[in-house]
Amino acid sequence: MRALRYFFAEAFASLWRGRGAALLSILTIAAGLFVLGFFLMVNTNVQRLVGRWGQAAELSVYMREEATPEQTAAVRETLNRSGLATSIQFLSKDDAKTEFSRDFPDLAGAAANLQRNPFPASFEVRLASDAGGAAAAIDALAGSLSELPGVADVRYDRRWLARLNAMIGIVRGMGLVIVLMLALASALTVANVVRLAAAARRDEIEIMQLVGAPFAYIRGPFVVEGLLQGGLGALGAIIALLASFAVLRLRLGSFVAEAVGVPGVAFVPATLLVLLVLGGMGLGCFGGYIVARSVR
Amino acid sequence: MIEAQGVSKMYSRGVYALRELTLRVDKGEFVFLTGPSGAGKSTLLRLLLRQDVPSDGKLVVGGRDLAQLTQRQVQAYRRSLGFVFQDFKLLPNKTVLENVSFVPRVLGMADSQQQRRTFQVLKWVGLQHRMNAFPLELSGGEQQRIAIARALVNDPIIILADEPTGNLDPDLSLEIMNLFREINARGTTVMVATHDRELIRRVGRRAVTLDHGHIVEVA
Repeated sequence: MRALRYFFAEAFASLWRGRGAALLSILTIAAGLFVLGFFLMVNTNVQRLVGRWGQAAELSVYMREEATPEQTAAVRETLNRSGLATSIQFLSKDDAKTEFSRDFPDLAGAAANLQRNPFPASFEVRLASDAGGAAAAIDALAGSLSELPGVADVRYDRRWLARLNAMIGIVRGMGLVIVLMLALASALTVANVVRLAAAARRDEIEIMQLVGAPFAYIRGPFVVEGLLQGGLGALGAIIALLASFAVLRLRLGSFVAEAVGVPGVAFVPATLLVLLVLGGMGLGCFGGYIVARSVR
Repeated sequence: MIEAQGVSKMYSRGVYALRELTLRVDKGEFVFLTGPSGAGKSTLLRLLLRQDVPSDGKLVVGGRDLAQLTQRQVQAYRRSLGFVFQDFKLLPNKTVLENVSFVPRVLGMADSQQQRRTFQVLKWVGLQHRMNAFPLELSGGEQQRIAIARALVNDPIIILADEPTGNLDPDLSLEIMNLFREINARGTTVMVATHDRELIRRVGRRAVTLDHGHIVEVA
């Protein structure tokens, strides 16, 4: 406890003595962690979006103009037998036109003036939410439906959702590489600032070595100094994130809700924020430890 | 207490700072190391502080061969020493009190014990009234007394001093030597390196004269 008190007292004193360099270091960490936090925030919202779209994923079976009632019944029968659908809704050509006019009121007039109804009749099928695990079965169902007489086309949302997920995975990987590089840069910045502090305290260190002070007492303050820089940097990043979040929600919240159907923008979950602070402290510790290790 | 058995210290390109030095210092003894610059006085003190190890021979302190000590044992060994340097090595941004209490503090001593020991030694060197001053506000003699107080605060069994009066005038030098005599009278082994032969004569203790790394005279 006495040792910890000493580490923190010395670390705070050292930070205060070299406050210019320390501030620069804290800002660098804050910038790095802000990028990471922003990345987490975007990721959180994209996950929500994909999750929501995934839940709303539908299979659409478009019928030919000339499809007979028997062919339509055969399609319904196939869907019922599959056991993958939670709801099946048949939209006649007229229903499709009405729905279009409701969804796109600006174009409703144009649709009403058409000589003939161009909208095909269709089955809108909602798949079970756990159907993602039965992708092969859905693919097989879509394949067999498209071969049925009277069927013009089968659209399956999950295919492009899978593609979207794959793309998100790639972007996430690239983001992770950038974040790792920023983390390394932050750790090196802390190390350099702590090295400056070590140089400023070389007389003290020499005396400590001569009187036989334990290594923990010699090195501890440097590690704690890095830890404090990392922690303060992380807090700075969170404050900047909160500010960005407030601005984004104010400026883009309603736009996002309308454009992609997700209510508002979500902030980074609390557990990730805690991890962000711990990560910042860890980075700082690592930077401080690099210097502390060289003090013998 | 201190036993050097054929100790040699060779630096690069075959230059010897000490050559087959054999010396014995008993517990509670006061010994001067003297000789011209480059004679090997400071090298011997460096070896005794375990900042370096002999190239050859054995240096034994309190029954421990210094070359065989692990890092942790070196730390423990140094806690039994006090050191005083010509340039005082005081921390300019700390007060007298902080400079002296720095040692027990970094050795993990309890706060109450730190304070008690610090006041004791400051009183002993006669500078308790200057405890809130900074080193640069003090005279050379006062600064060296602070350095001595710092060396004593840990209650060492050996005091090593490298040219402790090198920056002081003759009167102050004698005053500092009298402090060392008092320390020695309390049972602490004292080894002082100095080239000031007049001072040695006035203090009147055993003097080991070195030249080119050899002992040339013991008086």
